Amino acid sequence: MRRALRFFPILLMVLLAGPRPGVAADPNANPKRIDILYKISDHHYLDFKPIGKVELPRILRVDGAWVFYPSTTAALNSGDGWTDAWYLAHPDTVIYKADGTTIAPVSYDLVKADGSTAEFDFSITSHLAWFAFAGVLVLVLFGRLASKYDRSRKDGLVPRGTFMNIFESLVIFVRDDIAKANIGEEKYLKYTPYLLSAFFMILFMNLFGLAPWGVTSTSDIMVTAVLALFTFFITQKAGTKDYWMHVLAMPGVPKFMLVILTPVEILGLFTKPFALTVRLFANMASGKMLVYSILGMIFLFADMFGDWVGIGSAAIWIPFTLFIYAIKIFASFLQAYIFTMFSALFIGLAAADHSHDHEHGHAH
Amino acid sequence: MTPVFANSLVNVDPGLFIWTAVVFFGFLLILGRFVWKPLLASLSERESSIRGSLEAAEQAMKNAEEIRKNNDAALREAEALALKLRREAVEEAERVRAERIEKAKSEADELLAKAKQTIETEKKRALDELRQEVADLAIQAAGKILHAELDAEKNRKLVDRFLQDLNRN
Repeated sequence: MRRALRFFPILLMVLLAGPRPGVAADPNANPKRIDILYKISDHHYLDFKPIGKVELPRILRVDGAWVFYPSTTAALNSGDGWTDAWYLAHPDTVIYKADGTTIAPVSYDLVKADGSTAEFDFSITSHLAWFAFAGVLVLVLFGRLASKYDRSRKDGLVPRGTFMNIFESLVIFVRDDIAKANIGEEKYLKYTPYLLSAFFMILFMNLFGLAPWGVTSTSDIMVTAVLALFTFFITQKAGTKDYWMHVLAMPGVPKFMLVILTPVEILGLFTKPFALTVRLFANMASGKMLVYSILGMIFLFADMFGDWVGIGSAAIWIPFTLFIYAIKIFASFLQAYIFTMFSALFIGLAAADHSHDHEHGHAH
Repeated sequence: MTPVFANSLVNVDPGLFIWTAVVFFGFLLILGRFVWKPLLASLSERESSIRGSLEAAEQAMKNAEEIRKNNDAALREAEALALKLRREAVEEAERVRAERIEKAKSEADELLAKAKQTIETEKKRALDELRQEVADLAIQAAGKILHAELDAEKNRKLVDRFLQDLNRN
């Protein structure tokens, strides 16, 4: 019974998806305990376990000035008064790096000795880094594709090779089935580049999380909020006079109804990107948590019943994880598609000209 | 105790937000300018070239069909002509053959008639000759028998009258 209770906190960590009170335990202390929320959250380093960690630069605003450190370790050892929040909680322990004199970061939360933090943390984090990797990957892959087309121009732009065919079919899918289908024949080409960028960056970010050491940037609500915000701005920019008329003063509706309708419509402007944000974030974060939870069962069993039980039970958990992986690969494509499709739909609704069909009943 | 490893699902991190927005905006500009623009242009160019090729192929097919139709018509015409010529030739041959047969027949008939006539004439002549001979022989025989008393002149007249009577019968 006591043993069973020991893994209860882990279950709680998974189930209670909200800010938790401080857990002053070093995550490195017990390798059999996996803090799933810590795993999927943003870090100041890229984890290449067991090879090592690549610390990312810290950019902080302190006392009205920008301070730059190439890494958290550099900040800790800079003599600028920075300390790790973990050392503040455990003042009598100091963990050194392999050289024995450099203080190693533990929680990567930089605080001053009095517990105050930087005014603004503008550090480059793992989610940002993998976000940029996705962008670079899109740039490299499709830049290659574009130059390949340029080179094949002389033989009539005939597509050659698996690479060209796979990505070309995806590009054409986004262009025809997402952009053209939702925005319409006249205006879709203007928004296709944005939709293509969003689709492939989201897709690659989603898929990165399935690779070893990979991080799913789209499981961070800040990242998905930015993506949705771009869709939001592009949608408003695309808005025609008709669109704003429908939002602010719905035509063909009694004047007194506008008191209710206009606030609802304005609210509707913001619920759309909010739905985009939460849908992508929740899907990707939950998938990642599911994988960690099922794989974590191995360590949980090892912790509860001994190492060999844990290793033996892997025969169950690994096929399970593979099954979740297959679903996650599908979900990666699906969520990239859904985000892009809804973006196109919102842009299409805003960009639509109602002038040619004024008798559509204003059902919405 | 300060929250050291406090992580939640929903971390509000304005730094990350701004960074992501900047990086995303940058990628949108770069990708839009250097990747999607040429790529989409190539794709639409290829599509229009494919459409053009298909249209050209269709046109060529139509032309070929037209030519085939023309050829067919010409062939049918030629066949009809050949058939007509053949029929005419056969008819001509038939006519010539019939004519020839007719001619041969009439010639044969003519010959036959001539031959019959000749035979008739010859027969008559032969009969005449035979009668003459018989008369002569009879006269000679009768002369021999009745040599003395019979006047040759008187008797000849008698015999000629007799022969004339025979002819009349």
